[in-house]
Amino acid sequence: MRKRWIGCAVWLLLAACLYFFENNTGTRTVLAASLLVPLVPLLRRVFFAADAPAAEAERPLPLTIRTFARQETDEPGDVREYRPGDPIRRIHWKLSAKKDALLVRETAAEPEVVEEEQLSSAPADGQKVRHAGRAAGLLLGLMLLCAALLLLIPEARHGFQALCNRIFAASEARNAYAYTFFTVAENQRVWLAAALLTILFAALTALVLLLRSRVFLLGIMAGCTLFQAYFGLPFPAWVNIPLYGLLALGMLRRPVSRKSLLSVLGTALGTALLIVLLFPGVDAATESASETVRDQLSRMAQQAAGVVSELPEGETETRHVHTQSLQTGANEARTGREYRLVTVEEEQISQPHWIDWLKVSLLLLLTVALLSLPFAPFLLLNARKKKALEARKAFASEDVGEAVRAIFRHVVLWLSETGHDAGNLLYRDWPDVLPEELTEAYARRFARCAMDYEEAAYSEHALPEETRQRALELLQETETALWKAADWRQRLRIRYWMCLCE
Amino acid sequence: MQSQLESVIREVEKVIAGKRPVIEKILMALLAEGHVLLDDVPGVGKTTLAVALSRAVGLAFQRVQFTPDVLPSDLVGFSMYDKASGDFVYRPGALSRANLVLGDEINRAASKTQSALLEAMEERQLTVDGKTYPLEAPFIVIATENSVGTAGTQFLPYAQLDRFLVRLSLGYPDYEAQMSLLRERQTGNPLDTVARVMEKDELISLQWEARNVTVKDAILDYITRLALASRAHEAVEIGISPRGALFLSRMAKAMAFLEGRDYVNGADVQEVLRDVCAHRMLLKADVRQTTAEQVLEELLRKVENPDRRGLFPGMRKA
Repeated sequence: MRKRWIGCAVWLLLAACLYFFENNTGTRTVLAASLLVPLVPLLRRVFFAADAPAAEAERPLPLTIRTFARQETDEPGDVREYRPGDPIRRIHWKLSAKKDALLVRETAAEPEVVEEEQLSSAPADGQKVRHAGRAAGLLLGLMLLCAALLLLIPEARHGFQALCNRIFAASEARNAYAYTFFTVAENQRVWLAAALLTILFAALTALVLLLRSRVFLLGIMAGCTLFQAYFGLPFPAWVNIPLYGLLALGMLRRPVSRKSLLSVLGTALGTALLIVLLFPGVDAATESASETVRDQLSRMAQQAAGVVSELPEGETETRHVHTQSLQTGANEARTGREYRLVTVEEEQISQPHWIDWLKVSLLLLLTVALLSLPFAPFLLLNARKKKALEARKAFASEDVGEAVRAIFRHVVLWLSETGHDAGNLLYRDWPDVLPEELTEAYARRFARCAMDYEEAAYSEHALPEETRQRALELLQETETALWKAADWRQRLRIRYWMCLCE
Repeated sequence: MQSQLESVIREVEKVIAGKRPVIEKILMALLAEGHVLLDDVPGVGKTTLAVALSRAVGLAFQRVQFTPDVLPSDLVGFSMYDKASGDFVYRPGALSRANLVLGDEINRAASKTQSALLEAMEERQLTVDGKTYPLEAPFIVIATENSVGTAGTQFLPYAQLDRFLVRLSLGYPDYEAQMSLLRERQTGNPLDTVARVMEKDELISLQWEARNVTVKDAILDYITRLALASRAHEAVEIGISPRGALFLSRMAKAMAFLEGRDYVNGADVQEVLRDVCAHRMLLKADVRQTTAEQVLEELLRKVENPDRRGLFPGMRKA
């Protein structure tokens, strides 16, 4: 329980940070969509059904703890003779011993239950599940019916189009978007479409509540986000944050671990940056402030030039004179103290935010990365090739021990690159865990060479030349055997190394 | 395998059937000049094993059955007033002339007696009345400890446990071994058939050879990492001591020598780690259902072995 509260607190903190971020950067509400991010780790759980039975199994058995009021009735007045059928726990043993007869406490009522704590909800038995399934089916049918009606009844369809037109109009009033409006009458009544839509959403909500499905909640979230982003009609942040928060809280059913929280925070940060890059948005406040200041400046210039607002008739010459006088006016005005103050203000307003620098540097980084991408394989190949050639050079070393070490290292590398790595085992123990496709004889040879390797690695005396031959044979055998056993992906990789090594 | 050592093992196996690994390990301890603690239930042949070994190698054998009233002077000897000379004469104790001392049920001894053993075991000398008498080489203590019937016993102090090179356990014989034991003991004592196949001097020279087995830095590095990992392990109060690490390297050398190699490899260390280090580890009191052996197994799994280490500098997977 406490974990969940901590989760809530972290959630709120995150939301507050995002709110602050949004206010400061002018990146509009698309950011609020990044509240979706914490759900990314959940997606795995949502989409991988394999987790579901495990989650079911984790659910504890229904348990109820009852705390009974302690009975302290020792007065003999409450006691009567034992009759067959009386509960044994009600026998007053002390008095019974004294009186030499079984006596029971005469309490009419059962011990009073002071506290009843349900440890977990009752399990959904088959009956309930069946009911839920039927209800879900009904709701789904209702939704389909609503959607069909919405499309089939002309009245409803036109109403829906009119509703869309209104949304388009609202969006156009706010943004510079241009929409293709539906051709419907201005005074088209929308009540039928609105009613059908309401029923649709009500059914959807009921379905979500019934199924407790995360996918549905996720769908709703995505819908909200898409709506806001597509129409450019963002809800204010104080609506968005509680909305997404509630939806997300509905999904977070189990307490979150620290690891998942960390990954959530990391992903949130990443997504926030991505959103800043992709949907920069406009800060309305900065825009209007800068507009005002620029107006002020031009008004001052006009005043200094003594130009009245009306322009002479559109002749080129007078316009030229007018511009010139404006310039001289500007020059004169520039000497004024007020003008300077306003200029400073303008500069401050149009100064780039730190977040803009961040964007620019990120973009630069991305550009550099993209530009260098085509060369990456060459860099990588060269490095690998050099390494591989160096490794092979040791095969012919004067020192047989060194050669044996290098060859055996190569064998082990082959094995481990093709997925037969035995982990932290001594090489002499590897034959026990070698894959089946490698033969018994191979395992024996491997064991023999492992001994050679040990001698080469840990002893001080020189090794005979034949150990080098033995190791080379093992390497060859390893290569052929593994090539036979490899699947196409491994073969591709093997061929790649071979290209490098030759 | 050295032929002399092989014949010693064969002789000892005449009386203790089917326990070759333990015999080998005791022989290794002998080669590494370390002391052995046998921890076992009564009646599995701990004493027989020690006697057979002393006979096969030709060591002077002494046996002390520890009880609470065995006194330090019984072990190290004492000075007695000699009326005739008017002087104090040193009377040697049980340890004085022995090469191989069997201390039976050492955990029954009083703590002062136990501590008298300490100097003998570590310094290989005795000090009586301020005079120091060096012990004859080789000097090896094989102590036994019963894990049952612990009434009237006390735990060996940690300091004393740390002085034993290995702690071994014989365990019950299997069916075959039990049958052959019963058959042989019907008529005579097989101990009488144990022949002396090695002299004391030969043992000393073998010890010297075992000391000169090569240990590369890679192996020492492995031992060090094992010791450090044991000290850092969360369930461990006291890990492998520096002396433990030293003993581990010595025992690994003896193991390599016994196998006829002149260099130590990773497998030697892994093989003897349990016997050398299990009794040196003190687990935390709040750790239940974990034994030192389990911790050591875990270390062997987790600590990167010398074969692997540094082979692939940029290796991505373990």
